[in-house]
Amino acid sequence: MTLTGGARYFAGRLATGAATLLAISVLVFSAVHLVPGGYAEVVLGPTSSPEVRAALRAEFGLDRPLPVQYLEWLRHVATGDLGVSMGTGEPVSDQLIRRLPVTAELAGLALSLTVLVGVPLAVLAGLSRGRFGRGLSRLAGSTAMSIPDFVLGSLLVFLFSRFALGLPVGGHVPLAEDPVANLRAMALPALTLSVFGIALVVRTGRDAVAAVFNAPHITTALARGERMAHVIRHHVLRNAAIPVITVLATYVGYLMGGAVIVENLFSLPGLAQAVLNGIRGRDYATVQGLVLVASAAFIMINMLADITYAVVDPRVREGHRR
Amino acid sequence: MPFHGDLLSRVSLVVLLGLLAVAVLGPWLPLGDPAAVNVGPRLAAPSGEWWTGTDSLGRSVLPRLVEGIRTTFLLAGVAVMGTVALGVALGMLAAYYRGPIAELIIRGADVLFAFPSLLLAILLVAITGPGAPGAVISIVLICSPLMVRVVRAASLSVVGRDFVVAARVGGAGPVRILLVHVLPNVAGTAVVQATYALSVGMLIESGLSFLGLGLQPPNASLGSLVHEGAVYLPIAPWLVLIPGALLALAIMAVNLVGDGLRDALDVRGVEVRR
Repeated sequence: MTLTGGARYFAGRLATGAATLLAISVLVFSAVHLVPGGYAEVVLGPTSSPEVRAALRAEFGLDRPLPVQYLEWLRHVATGDLGVSMGTGEPVSDQLIRRLPVTAELAGLALSLTVLVGVPLAVLAGLSRGRFGRGLSRLAGSTAMSIPDFVLGSLLVFLFSRFALGLPVGGHVPLAEDPVANLRAMALPALTLSVFGIALVVRTGRDAVAAVFNAPHITTALARGERMAHVIRHHVLRNAAIPVITVLATYVGYLMGGAVIVENLFSLPGLAQAVLNGIRGRDYATVQGLVLVASAAFIMINMLADITYAVVDPRVREGHRR
Repeated sequence: MPFHGDLLSRVSLVVLLGLLAVAVLGPWLPLGDPAAVNVGPRLAAPSGEWWTGTDSLGRSVLPRLVEGIRTTFLLAGVAVMGTVALGVALGMLAAYYRGPIAELIIRGADVLFAFPSLLLAILLVAITGPGAPGAVISIVLICSPLMVRVVRAASLSVVGRDFVVAARVGGAGPVRILLVHVLPNVAGTAVVQATYALSVGMLIESGLSFLGLGLQPPNASLGSLVHEGAVYLPIAPWLVLIPGALLALAIMAVNLVGDGLRDALDVRGVEVRR
């Protein structure tokens, strides 16, 4: 192999990601097929006749050996066919395309808020020396880390509806229809999800910034007379970026669960809502398809984070330990 | 051993012990039956007579809150014990045996870790059905990978040390080495990680219960109380805000006690994930 360090690093990350995705597909598939009593009994009820159940199993191909079903499923998934909703008969991929914009917008807004508010706060907290400020930021951080999203969301719904603070507390307007109304409807859900993210970024970023700021090369740069803003942008942020990118990737995983809570709380017709409806209605094809897609997206985002490390930090690319 | 935390951690410890006392003593407190309906008016606001109000069935909310605290700690606590047993055993094994066993354990933990946590919980509840067992299994599977990783990392630095080599030369078997020589050296790490796992467990259980996928009525956890009260939020906000605030307080106390323990035991490398 004559791969350079960088190419080998990327290839390695790609292989690990693919293997993890394959393992997760086995996990998702077997989880859904381990349901006690099997799908036919769940759908038709325990009093249904064996003939009717057998017919249903044959219709969905559930009467074949599990490994065969798995490979068949995988073959379809690979071509973009995620199966058909067992509740409505709608293809799962159609649901995905219809609902993805809502969830993607929600996640995008929450992530943007997290970065735009979290990073400056982290830098401020990392540079501050006062004991009082530190104690206060720790208390605020612990509260934001600890408050469950559905409690925070309920509190916002209560405050904004009781005191008519001017933002809608539920419902959805498509972005293409009325961008302003759409953003207003998305504001509270995105805020609910971003509070934990901001706390996470501040907590991690603060320590990283403080550690970098005490390094000799920063002192040198300042002694040379470089301006503070320049030093922070060029020397501190780049070096403190890696741990922050890591927690942002973790945060995206949290967002996928948080979306279930928030879409439920604010009645947003997103993907997470569909997964929840699928569980409640025992629509396993939908659950299976959507959970697989979400996991795949999460794995890809983690790979992206790993690749970003290599871009930010040449030592990673050349195979030195971080 | 005295608990050396800063002020915030010490206050949290007192809050946590108070909540635990309520949880343990709950059934013997003279607050009335949490399940008795029509003991008061429906949806009465908090007052001198009904301190935390009543719910839509005329139940007094106070004994239900106490039961909720009890259940929330109990379910998360049981799950954390499972996590510690599984995570510590697998973590030490993965550090002691190099080769295929370690590889299998580490890869398995990585795969579970690559799953967004609440999605994993929801997927599991699809199999087990809503209820306490599903919630406990979910918490164990979500928290174990991190426990394995952290305990393995701590064990790796122990198994190579001279006293372990000496024990092995002296004829001690793997079970004896792991239990007598490795376990005491990784116990602190496991305890701190277990504290964080407790707060994650409480979040997972309450999140599932909030979605109606956790504890089922008439049982109550803090999350299911919020779930039951959510419909009445505009007219009876105390049904949501009081259990919600208690839940946030409990989780925060656990997290801050965890921070205090981490500093007191000088443990590094533990991780928080939600």
